[in-house]
Amino acid sequence: MTELAEGPTHVAVRRSLAYWNQEFQRIHPPILRYGFSVVSVGMALGVAFALQHYQFRDVELPVLTLAIAFTTWYAGTGPSVLAVLLSSAFFDYFFIEPLYSFDISSRDLPYFFIFVAWAVIVASFSAVRRRVEDSLRQVRDNLQVEVEQRRLREDEIRKLNQELGTRAAELEATNKELESFAYSVSHDLRAPLRHMAGYSELLQRQASSLLDEKSQRFIQTILDSAKRMGILIDDLLAFSRIGRAETKKTEVDLEPLVKEVVAEIGQDTKSRNIAWKIGALPVCYGDRSMLRLVVVNLVSNAVKFTRMREAAEIEIGAVERDDNEVDLFVRDNGAGFDMRYVDKLFGVFQRLHLPEQFEGTGIGLATVQRIIHRHGGQVRGEGALDQGATFYFSLPKAQQAGERTANAS
Amino acid sequence: MTTLGRILIIEDDPNDLELTLTALTDYNLANEVVVTRDGQQALDYLYCRGEFSTRSTGNPAVMLLDLKLPKIGGLEVLQQIKSDERLKMLPVVVLTSSHEEKDMMRSYSLGVNAYVVKPVDFHEFVNAVKELGVFWAVINEPPPGSVRKPT
Repeated sequence: MTELAEGPTHVAVRRSLAYWNQEFQRIHPPILRYGFSVVSVGMALGVAFALQHYQFRDVELPVLTLAIAFTTWYAGTGPSVLAVLLSSAFFDYFFIEPLYSFDISSRDLPYFFIFVAWAVIVASFSAVRRRVEDSLRQVRDNLQVEVEQRRLREDEIRKLNQELGTRAAELEATNKELESFAYSVSHDLRAPLRHMAGYSELLQRQASSLLDEKSQRFIQTILDSAKRMGILIDDLLAFSRIGRAETKKTEVDLEPLVKEVVAEIGQDTKSRNIAWKIGALPVCYGDRSMLRLVVVNLVSNAVKFTRMREAAEIEIGAVERDDNEVDLFVRDNGAGFDMRYVDKLFGVFQRLHLPEQFEGTGIGLATVQRIIHRHGGQVRGEGALDQGATFYFSLPKAQQAGERTANAS
Repeated sequence: MTTLGRILIIEDDPNDLELTLTALTDYNLANEVVVTRDGQQALDYLYCRGEFSTRSTGNPAVMLLDLKLPKIGGLEVLQQIKSDERLKMLPVVVLTSSHEEKDMMRSYSLGVNAYVVKPVDFHEFVNAVKELGVFWAVINEPPPGSVRKPT
């Protein structure tokens, strides 16, 4: 019964009568089983004699049938037949007239039939019981297998969880390290830069009358470079902060957000002829200030790269993708880009134009990509040289915003 | 008649110090400047102890505090000042390279009066120091007991 020791529900069963019942039925060697048959009948005979001695009459038949029943129940068919034969013989010999002889008369037949019938009834009960037991055992085995499998699965889950925990701790440590790295960059790298700029400026002021034009230009270059490096460091820090900052996601209505950004940027481009076209935009789910940064970056890019156009056109719109996501785009008719270099567009400090053509550090689209990735979306750019560019980004839709779809326009 | 409040500068970097002093000198704000180079020295000055045990009493009109300092850091100095009954009224301006939100949050929660990030550009830097000097040492009325000299 060791296999039962696993399940707590079996503990009670183990101690019960049923357990011993079963244990007895496990007596398999034939000698033991037939021996059991002989001993039962012998004991029944002894009890019958004892009872007869104390003047109890006609008890031998029930006692012997009881012995047959026990034998049939516990030892099986063969011993049962033996018990019936032995009981019939002993009954005939000891209790039926003429006593102490094996004479068989037609009067004795009913007793023999009683023994046989009794054995058959008990045997059929035993068979039914065994069948029920077998099916129960099978169910139990199945259950055990299932329990075992579940335990294995639980073990596996626990192990995976543990691994996940370790991984999370590692990530947290890496994040901390990155944070302190960014911190020291912001602190320690900016100080010498400030000194370079400051002292060049002082030098320029102090010695401007002594320096020729070339030297003045050298100093100016030092100053410009220091300033540029300052901007690069600030951009990089802002970029890394986006990766580290927690996102506070809410429902964000993109239409007012885009209009707000366009109005703001429009303030600086009053002198230019820009035709804005803003389509119906959906309500999305995301971090408002981060999404605003995405829109600011894409729109100011569009403004920047249409600078040489007499009539610039900038379109902002949305295309339904599926029930959960929506594609938004910013399209311009500006400088565009060669699709061969499309892979480089979203890299940090990657630029496809000379600084003399268009200013900038090349952090804008990298920032856009990082923010959209943090929202579980995708970015991509399409364009052709001198024929404008379109930048797409996908965002998860707000659940309740179903009726205000982008196609409404 | 205008008066000029005393400015206490805590700055460990000699270059930053020189640039700051240059900016203050340019706008005639450098007459009443006291320079300390770390948190320990700054606290010694404020408590008139150690090398400053013989100084005349009175708090400066403003304190320009760098955050990254040897020995006792800027945030610790700030905490010390703001938790001391005699010093908590002293206006403290953090003047630092750090853009970090963490530093900003911590400074403000400790009760800093202003938080200024040192600009990399020299003109902006000079301008920031000048504005700070003019505002805190000239325009602002410091708490009673601060050192002010007629100009």
